[in-house]
Amino acid sequence: MLGFVCKYAPVEVFEAMDTEVGRISPSVVNFNQADTLMHPNVCSFVKSVLEEVIGSDYEGVILTTCCDSVRRLCDVLRDQCPNKFIYMIDVPRKVNDFSSKMFTENLREMIRAYEDFSGKKFDEKKFAQILERKAEAEKLRKAPEKEDGPRIGLVGTRCSAGVLNILENHHAQILFDMTCTGLSRSFRCGQEDPLGAYAWDLLNQVPCLRMVKASGREKFIDGFKDRLDGLICHTVKFCDMYAFEYSELRAGAGVPVLQAETDSTAQSEGQIRTRVEAFLESVKKPEIGKKKRTVTRTGSEKMYVLGVDSGSTSTNAVILDENKKIVAFDVVRTGAKSGESADKVLQNVLDKAGISKDQLAAIISTGYGRVSIPYADENVTEISCHGRGAHYFNPAVRTILDIGGQDSKAIRLSETGEVVDFVMNDKCAAGTGRFLEMMARTLEIDISQLGPISAEWKENIEITSMCTVFAESEVISLIAQNKEKADIAHGLHNAIAGKAYSLLRRVGLNEAYMMTGGVAKNPGVVKAVEERIGSKLYICEEPEIVGALGAALYALERV
Amino acid sequence: MDYVKAYGELIKKTAGSHPLAARRMIYAGLIEELIRMKIAPKKEMPQALRMLNYQSVRKVYQAIRHPENSCWTNIFAPVEIMQCFGLDCVSMECLSSFMSGFMIEDHLIDTAESEGIASTLCSYHKGFIGGVDSGIFPPAPLSVTTSMVCDGNINTFRHVQQTKGVPSFVIDVPNENSAYAMEYVTGQLKDLISVLEDVTGKKMDMAQLRRRLKMENASKQCYLEFLKEEKHRFYPKTLTLELYLLFVTHLDIGSEDSLRFLRLLKEDVKKYPTRTGPNIFWVHLMPYYQQTLQKYFNYKDDYYIQAIDMNLDYTEMLDTEHPLEALARKMLDNIYNGPYSRKVEKIAQLVKELESDAVIHFCHWGCKQSVGGVMLLREKMQEMGIPMLVLDGDGMDRRNSHDGQIRTRLEAFLEMIDQMEEA
Ligand code: SF4
Ligand code: SF4
Ligand code: SF4
Repeated sequence: MLGFVCKYAPVEVFEAMDTEVGRISPSVVNFNQADTLMHPNVCSFVKSVLEEVIGSDYEGVILTTCCDSVRRLCDVLRDQCPNKFIYMIDVPRKVNDFSSKMFTENLREMIRAYEDFSGKKFDEKKFAQILERKAEAEKLRKAPEKEDGPRIGLVGTRCSAGVLNILENHHAQILFDMTCTGLSRSFRCGQEDPLGAYAWDLLNQVPCLRMVKASGREKFIDGFKDRLDGLICHTVKFCDMYAFEYSELRAGAGVPVLQAETDSTAQSEGQIRTRVEAFLESVKKPEIGKKKRTVTRTGSEKMYVLGVDSGSTSTNAVILDENKKIVAFDVVRTGAKSGESADKVLQNVLDKAGISKDQLAAIISTGYGRVSIPYADENVTEISCHGRGAHYFNPAVRTILDIGGQDSKAIRLSETGEVVDFVMNDKCAAGTGRFLEMMARTLEIDISQLGPISAEWKENIEITSMCTVFAESEVISLIAQNKEKADIAHGLHNAIAGKAYSLLRRVGLNEAYMMTGGVAKNPGVVKAVEERIGSKLYICEEPEIVGALGAALYALERV
Repeated sequence: MDYVKAYGELIKKTAGSHPLAARRMIYAGLIEELIRMKIAPKKEMPQALRMLNYQSVRKVYQAIRHPENSCWTNIFAPVEIMQCFGLDCVSMECLSSFMSGFMIEDHLIDTAESEGIASTLCSYHKGFIGGVDSGIFPPAPLSVTTSMVCDGNINTFRHVQQTKGVPSFVIDVPNENSAYAMEYVTGQLKDLISVLEDVTGKKMDMAQLRRRLKMENASKQCYLEFLKEEKHRFYPKTLTLELYLLFVTHLDIGSEDSLRFLRLLKEDVKKYPTRTGPNIFWVHLMPYYQQTLQKYFNYKDDYYIQAIDMNLDYTEMLDTEHPLEALARKMLDNIYNGPYSRKVEKIAQLVKELESDAVIHFCHWGCKQSVGGVMLLREKMQEMGIPMLVLDGDGMDRRNSHDGQIRTRLEAFLEMIDQMEEA
């Protein structure tokens, strides 16, 4: 079988030579070979194709001159697989008579090369028949059945199975899939020069972003505007092309847009689950309250609900009564097993409230470990919950900065407290609590001391590296230069603030601001962020419980 | 805090709310630099390079000061045609680098990223987008770029067309040369000419283009002669000056200024003493600001960087009788277009001709076309017995280069070369 990855690949030509052609859908778990054969910084989709092709028995691969990463993939594959048919067809980026003539000739040359390689012959008649058959089949294609979930359009680069799975599980309707091989292709038949007409039709598909004129994409999306709840733009790590599309759509599409970035590995579903779920929740409010719970409750007794936020560093719980009053809350450190911390926090918070579990009318979990809390009735993402919680504490809040142990996010709220946009950084430790923890350890001070110490800074030190590994050696060299710990801590806080600021800018800088998460307890960071945004941060008494509170508010809705 | 840094901080502070004021601060900075070069030139800098230094800074100053007479390009654009219309070409790589010279690249890059532009995009592109969108770079009347070599161009220039209305003309250069490809590219050059005629209201003068191509051929000849002479001489250079050569080999090639400079260069080098230390051939960009590299290579001859491949990406002579075809061929046959093996062969040939003892390849953050093939180059160098070092970092964003890492790798490599020389 020959593999292909691109909608401009002339699949039918090979079918006419009785060669099976299949789309490569890599499922690799690491890039051990690709990182050494190429470089860690090339597009991860390309790396996954390299891993996949080297480790399997494809007869060859048909590539297109899509982008620089693919050009280099072709070079490396040719070097690594001298006996396979590795062919890269040059696809022009402009569509006109010259380019189409050239493309037809390129097809002819490819055919000659494959004839030489395989000993088969290309039959133009058979080719024309195949195109006809395909056109017939296209007519018979049924429209997918209607779901009642949010109506989503997919844009960006090829979608991994992971994204599609999440959408399916949430009963989302995919109105269209414009990613690399998502749209079906149609060809005119019965032409005098079938290959020439075919080349022209290939070039005239809805363009992808490598084409000089890509306005056809906008027009295509516009055709769905009236029905669309949101767009998901899938991007791949180290592919820059489709971030442009995201940037453009975000600035002017008029519908909510989510960027979902994966690294093309089999694990990527997990990397984006929270994001995609939160997005689906924000375009269509979660329907809570399908399952019922039996509550032992006598007429005069009050009703209670519980929200649990299972985060990577702390597990938090809040109990509310029916008047939305906080009855009790608790925070425990998340241990190696998140289930144990969840049990512990439940016990603690029930004790503090002086009630029993039976008196809880609903329990909603949230946070990174939300799906593994056995006693929760339902779960909602931490994004939606933070929005709710923040609005509860302070209805003036429009922008939330949440810096937790392993991720940081910025959320924009509407006047009514609905999430309208959010961005997350959960790919590396940069700008998170984990970063500060590691730096505190390098400075040999307790994490809780970092804030107070930094208040005594004198010299302005700039920490340039945000990568934890680089920053650590930068800090070590500052210590070696005998710099004051207070100054280094101050520099670290400024670095975090810089990262936070760029996150905030991406959702838009709108007052009032609130900061949540464990890092909000560090006065040094708070001050540094306030300086950057030129505004005050509202911080509630226990900034770690905002997510759990939001979950409890959702729970109240379901009873 | 040093002076440049403090000035950079001030520009950054101003840029957010008053981009025009920030722009004026950049003019002022460039003027000051020009004056300083005149009244207090660096003593160790050779005469020809002083000229290069001055010309380069002046070019950028003019492009920012008089945007109406300039054209945004990438480094591979057919600048000779724009010159015929009196437009000064300034590439996005160059504008970005100069902002890094002012130490404000972080601000510009963050601006681009906050719009949703990928953080993994090449920093030159991000810096350019940030500079344009933040209002620091005044818009040129149009941009002319090529699709070949670097896949970021189409999208970067489409982006600034959308945000600031600078029309983008892209020349799509096929991956490989053929009769059809020649026809396709030449056709686009003709389209370009009519666009330029519209934009400027001037007529294309083919005779002038021919003259420019002649000067270009002569310029190339001079540079090659310089390299031959430089093989055994100590001609004091810096990383920055090596990059400034890109002005005369690309952005301003075909001009009298460039030819005058290159003529002087090839004579100037003969005045300098001979040397024996190892010759190093550099591949791809240089992080000109990087302390360790500066320490080892700026005005030093213990290890001598002869040239970078970027200045030698097309060494053929142009057919001045058929100027448009010649320019089309120049793009199609560029060593970075087509398969990577073309670049490998060219570097192998240059390493032989220039008698280089070692190769350093710099992997610039976000540049997929160069980093993706680095293993293939390494294989070839191994075969030739030429030691090769791969450094990772960023040509302009200081935050992406780590001194400790670069220092360790470089010093180990230089020690290794020394030992090989001794053996
Ligand atoms: S971006 Fe375009 S050229 Fe590249 S693989 Fe996708 S459809 Fe093909
Ligand atoms: S994901 Fe992006 S970089 Fe990767 S192959 Fe597709 S277009 Fe190229
Ligand atoms: S360094 Fe690479 S990615 Fe950046 S502009 Fe140059 S060729 Fe393009």
